[in-house]
Amino acid sequence: MDKPLLSLTDVNKYFDDSHILKDISLDIHDGEFLTLLGPSGCGKTTMLRCIAGLESINSGDILLNGSSIKDLPPNKRNVNTVFQNYALFPHLNIYDNVAYGPRIKKSMNEADLKVRINEILELVQMTGYEERMTHQLSGGQRQRIAIARALINEPDILLLDEPLGALDLKLRRYMQTELASLQKQTKTTFVYVTHDQEEALNMSDRIVVLNKGVIQQVGSPREVYNNPSNLFVADFIGDRNIKKVKVIEKNGDYVRVMLKDNIIDIKCSTNATTKDCSDDYAILAIHTDKMSISCSEKPNSLMGTIISVHYSGSQIRSQVDLGGEKVAVIEYRSNDCDYKKGDKVYITWEESGAILLPMEEGFKERSGGYEEV
Amino acid sequence: MVDMKKFKQNAPAIPILVWFGILVGIPLIFVVILSFLSRDELGNIVVRFTLDNYKRIFDPIYIKVFINSLFLATLTSFITMIIGYPVAYFTANLEKKKKALAILLIMLPFWISSLLRTYGWIILLGNTGLVNNLLIGFNIIDKPLSMMYKFSTILTGTAYMLIPFMIIAIYNSVDKLDRSLLEASYDLGAGKWKTFFKITLPLTIPGIAGGFTLVFIPSLGLFFISDLLGGGKNIFLGNLINSLITKGRNKPLAAAFSVGMIIMVLIVLFIYSRLVKRNTGGADENSII
Repeated sequence: MDKPLLSLTDVNKYFDDSHILKDISLDIHDGEFLTLLGPSGCGKTTMLRCIAGLESINSGDILLNGSSIKDLPPNKRNVNTVFQNYALFPHLNIYDNVAYGPRIKKSMNEADLKVRINEILELVQMTGYEERMTHQLSGGQRQRIAIARALINEPDILLLDEPLGALDLKLRRYMQTELASLQKQTKTTFVYVTHDQEEALNMSDRIVVLNKGVIQQVGSPREVYNNPSNLFVADFIGDRNIKKVKVIEKNGDYVRVMLKDNIIDIKCSTNATTKDCSDDYAILAIHTDKMSISCSEKPNSLMGTIISVHYSGSQIRSQVDLGGEKVAVIEYRSNDCDYKKGDKVYITWEESGAILLPMEEGFKERSGGYEEV
Repeated sequence: MVDMKKFKQNAPAIPILVWFGILVGIPLIFVVILSFLSRDELGNIVVRFTLDNYKRIFDPIYIKVFINSLFLATLTSFITMIIGYPVAYFTANLEKKKKALAILLIMLPFWISSLLRTYGWIILLGNTGLVNNLLIGFNIIDKPLSMMYKFSTILTGTAYMLIPFMIIAIYNSVDKLDRSLLEASYDLGAGKWKTFFKITLPLTIPGIAGGFTLVFIPSLGLFFISDLLGGGKNIFLGNLINSLITKGRNKPLAAAFSVGMIIMVLIVLFIYSRLVKRNTGGADENSII
């Protein structure tokens, strides 16, 4: 890989007594769409603000194109931010809002600026809105203007702080596609902050999963979805049955474990070494949508009893009792049989849908999205 | 037909409208009527329609009083704005606890009679006042400085009396300023000063205009300050109306001057509302009118 565009090394950030970012080290490459994903309070927005220069860092360094920017004020860093509430200037019209950056920096004359603004408004599909005031725009339109106002400065990195959070679901989905194609079109590096896993999986080249100020995993959407490196990632991304299992023996890449009375052979997570899975107990995580229910016995299937079945058009969500262990199963088409509550069924799953993770402190069992119900 | 829904929505406003109608509206109507009446040699009001009072307003001597008053009010507004803005800006950027204390200190003078506070300036600035005594005591001067009974003394007293209005009005608009707008400005390449002049200042114009109005209007009518600190040398509208009623026994003429003053105030309010509308696109819920 070529030299990183931006690299954070051992960045630490404190607010009063709370340690917000803990030894963050991360390389961001030119032209990628990188997403910082995590629950609220995990430090993702703080990390973004540290890159923008709106927050200072307590230790570590931030290099942009190889030179340190950690002591530069935000106006001296060639990065621009799309703020969560867009932060458009209410006293300026759309044209003047977009023109703000170039005018401040006096980077081009008014004639060139006009051409450039036309281009950028066309790019975000807001041509014809130049004279409007910001309060005359809808949420989605403000969003586009905020992006245009940042992009016109041709930043090395565009930072986006949950920009779709305020939009309704339909518009959000639409804007996701728009943003991703905008990123490819402009070849600008995007660093995108969100707590929405679907958004992250949908748009990103790489995802950085954060929790409590610590990077949990960095990888492509497929990697973090299919091969979580630890319990947090497994639980946060995707819908999984997470169970404590007893390790019986290790067998090459496979580990033989016991879930209640059922004996299962399972592959250890590629992110964890088999050694990690060789304690007395480990964690079994199975994607609810990679399991299937069948009425007849199949190889490597586990026998159970249906507790409940919820049919919701595109999917069937069921709860199955596997000899005292409750698991959730999501199926997208009816299988070889119509099962109902109380039926004896056999559960199987795709091998890639199940992984074994090392045991962690504070572990809590859950069975898919049902746990909260 | 009466729109019942609208009526119900506006019903809570009725008591205050009645209150204003009785205490402000009716007296105002009397003043306007009075301004068209005459008086006899003894100063008694005679019910006989005349426009003489309004003709007399345009007497050059009286025009000078109008100009004097406008000059004082404008200058007071500017001085309070220039001093008040930094104070308000600084206060709005304090942390929460200190902010509350600062606001309390700014409002504190309102708890003391304004007449007493004006006498305070005499004690401070008089020939045998505190400032002169100290300066003489430290042998900085031999003769007391003459600081009383000047236009500048009146200006000082009026500005002192009204500056809290200016500070509070500007404070409100600085305080509710969205901090992310400032961050966006830094992010787009502007430094602190550019951000102040391009974002903070334009967005707080409604506050400045509000403060300007709140200072300008009362400074037209604060007659006791110019009486006490000006020694009656400078005549302003407030003094004129006051003396026409009390010493001059010419209530109709005083009423005409009052109507003239009200018109001046209305002009100021009109300019203010236009300014605020233009600046916020009519979206400012904190506007004072």
